Amino acid sequence: MTKARPEAEGQSDEAEGPDGGWGWVLVGALFVSTSLVFGLMRSLGIFFVEFVQYFDESAQAISWISSTGLAAQQFFSPLGAALCNAYETRLVVMTGGCLAGLGLILASQATCLTHLYLTMGLTAGLGWGLVFTPMVATVMAHFTRRRTLALGLAFSSIGLSSFAFNPLFQLLIEKYAWRGALLILGGLSLNIVPCGALIRPQRRSKAAKKIASESKPSHVSLLQRVSSHLELSLLFERPYITYTLAVTLLNVGYFVPYFHLVAHSRQAGFSEYQAAFVMSAAGATDILGRVVSGWFSDLGHFRLIHLLSAWTTLAGVFIMLLPVSSLSGSYSALVSISLLYGFCSGALTSLVFAVVPMIVGVERVMGGLGLLQLIESGAGLLGAPLSGFLKDVTGNYIASFIMAGSFPILGTLTMATLPHYFSCKDPPAPQRESPDDKEKSLHPELEQMNSLPSDTGH
Amino acid sequence: MSASWKQLFFQILLLLISCRHINTKTPGPTSPPLDPISPLPTLERSYVLKGVSHTERVELLNPVNLSLMCTWAGNQNKPSNITGFWRKDGEEIENSRVTVQLENEQYNLKQKFSIVSEENLGSYSCVFGGEAKIDFDLAAPQIGDVRDKPIVSYVGDSVVMTCKMEENKPKPNTWNWYMANDTGKEQIFPAAEPQRYEIKNDGWKTKLLVYNLTEADSGLFYCGAVYPISTTMSHVELKVISFYEPLKPFIAIVVEVIVLVAAILLYERSQSKKDYTAAGNGPGDQTNSLTPGENNALEESSSMRQRKV
Repeated sequence: MTKARPEAEGQSDEAEGPDGGWGWVLVGALFVSTSLVFGLMRSLGIFFVEFVQYFDESAQAISWISSTGLAAQQFFSPLGAALCNAYETRLVVMTGGCLAGLGLILASQATCLTHLYLTMGLTAGLGWGLVFTPMVATVMAHFTRRRTLALGLAFSSIGLSSFAFNPLFQLLIEKYAWRGALLILGGLSLNIVPCGALIRPQRRSKAAKKIASESKPSHVSLLQRVSSHLELSLLFERPYITYTLAVTLLNVGYFVPYFHLVAHSRQAGFSEYQAAFVMSAAGATDILGRVVSGWFSDLGHFRLIHLLSAWTTLAGVFIMLLPVSSLSGSYSALVSISLLYGFCSGALTSLVFAVVPMIVGVERVMGGLGLLQLIESGAGLLGAPLSGFLKDVTGNYIASFIMAGSFPILGTLTMATLPHYFSCKDPPAPQRESPDDKEKSLHPELEQMNSLPSDTGH
Repeated sequence: MSASWKQLFFQILLLLISCRHINTKTPGPTSPPLDPISPLPTLERSYVLKGVSHTERVELLNPVNLSLMCTWAGNQNKPSNITGFWRKDGEEIENSRVTVQLENEQYNLKQKFSIVSEENLGSYSCVFGGEAKIDFDLAAPQIGDVRDKPIVSYVGDSVVMTCKMEENKPKPNTWNWYMANDTGKEQIFPAAEPQRYEIKNDGWKTKLLVYNLTEADSGLFYCGAVYPISTTMSHVELKVISFYEPLKPFIAIVVEVIVLVAAILLYERSQSKKDYTAAGNGPGDQTNSLTPGENNALEESSSMRQRKV
């Protein structure tokens, strides 16, 4: 496969990825760094009991630490993307890794809650933001045919690492108290730096072209450069806006079961262990779903966008069925619906990012992902409080789950308004209109090569 | 008239003498006073024994007059008389042996005990003819969940130790904290060292805050829930370590990271050197400002490198 298109690879980084070799090494790097970003974030809850006791603050004040961290990661994603467009990806990711480690190391010295917000929340979140989006974009650039599988394998690390991190963090806290545990976690987070080092330095032809085309830097062109690095022009394109809106709607309901399923199971009368087992089972099928969906999508039988719509609708339906199954009192029904929900939610995560290049084109993936992360962050802020509010008002979780399940379905309906949604073949990926067009006229084979993979490679 | 005064005087004298007799304690610290006069509230506990033995827990808060009643249905042969007696903590109580008559196919034993302080708590048993017995375990409310793992903290740091009584049990009057030393337990008084200790009592919960820890503070701390009848104890273990402890694994991880990064960069440099010598190109594939023509040639060499890997 690589031999067939040596010139395509060679011409510029606008061509599709080579699908293999170093790409798999990068998948491993993404696996490790994703587990150190999201796997770590998910397991931070273990520290909360210690913080509540030590700082004598309410659980709500403590939970703001992880909210700040997640919000910072999503907010700084466009910044990370822009910096990668302007400078080298490798440098940005390594800096992000250092920042994340530094944030946790400083957090181990905290003497008040504000310190934790600034270090564990803001600094570490900034570091994570500089790591995640660039690494995902880099991996996607290295794959075409196996893109979804690569992403699925890498994202399975989130579930696997939460399994591993929970007992590990517990052990660290028992041995070294939370200060020592945070220090060691900071060290572990520094392992993101070697992952970033694995990214080969790329030909930043985009930056080169900008420098070449703009002879006289002035304020206007600086703004233009910033907006092009941030890919702000995407915000004016209907397909991108539609897709981002769909993903945002999906995110509103997607996390609700993780917050409320245990409490709901307890309320329905099941024991602590039974409720915890339901969550673990959902987590296990989540991992399975990511890998299986990645493999299946790459077989090419269906368009990625159709598969994503299917998984999203199913996830929404299963979320709505969750309260029904536990109300009927049948534990096996609850477990089976949770397993199915876990599988669908894992399946759709592999696809959410893989669809982006189809909509924005390969070279704008970096900026597209960054903006997507930023916009979808609002959804997370909306979903959990809304479902909590519904529970307070109605007294049980049925309304919350039904509300949460309806949002992914709304997301699917929004996705259906994408252009060319109902056609059986993928439309050609959009090309960037810019000084590149001059390039293309010089290399006509490039254009031909570019359009071919979009049709055959899903 | 003087005769009636004399009579009154003698009656008062007799009364005083008999009062003195009533006030003396009964001999033996282990045997509880039987049928006292002091106005304590009365509590009754009874149990009907079906088998051969049973243990009943009795939770006491305040000093009471406890009346324990045991009923036994008897075994195969039901003699009309059997001897019954009472035990406290395994030892027979003096003068408690009685002969029990069979009434309505049952034997009944009843006894009143004055439970005023900690020595009176314990295990009281009624025994029927040396065969059947019912144990009544008298105790103040016990603390349920005791943390078995030590709390870890650092030299110079502060620590919070908590003790909790379950909220479905009665609220303690107050809490005391004790430190274990060579001679047993020593109570902690925050007023004596306000810079070091602080106790926060909040009904069913209590917190001991210790500031400016030193390694000597490591050890067992006891919290006592104070009830009128007695104090129930629980313990918390504290371990104070220096900051070098977590620093060791941390430094090991940092070294590992540096080694990995160096290895990756060196590997890449050696790979690119091979390409340079093979393709005969000059260095500079790391620079950004290239015209498209040069871009082309260099990308071919780096794409060759990708394929090699």
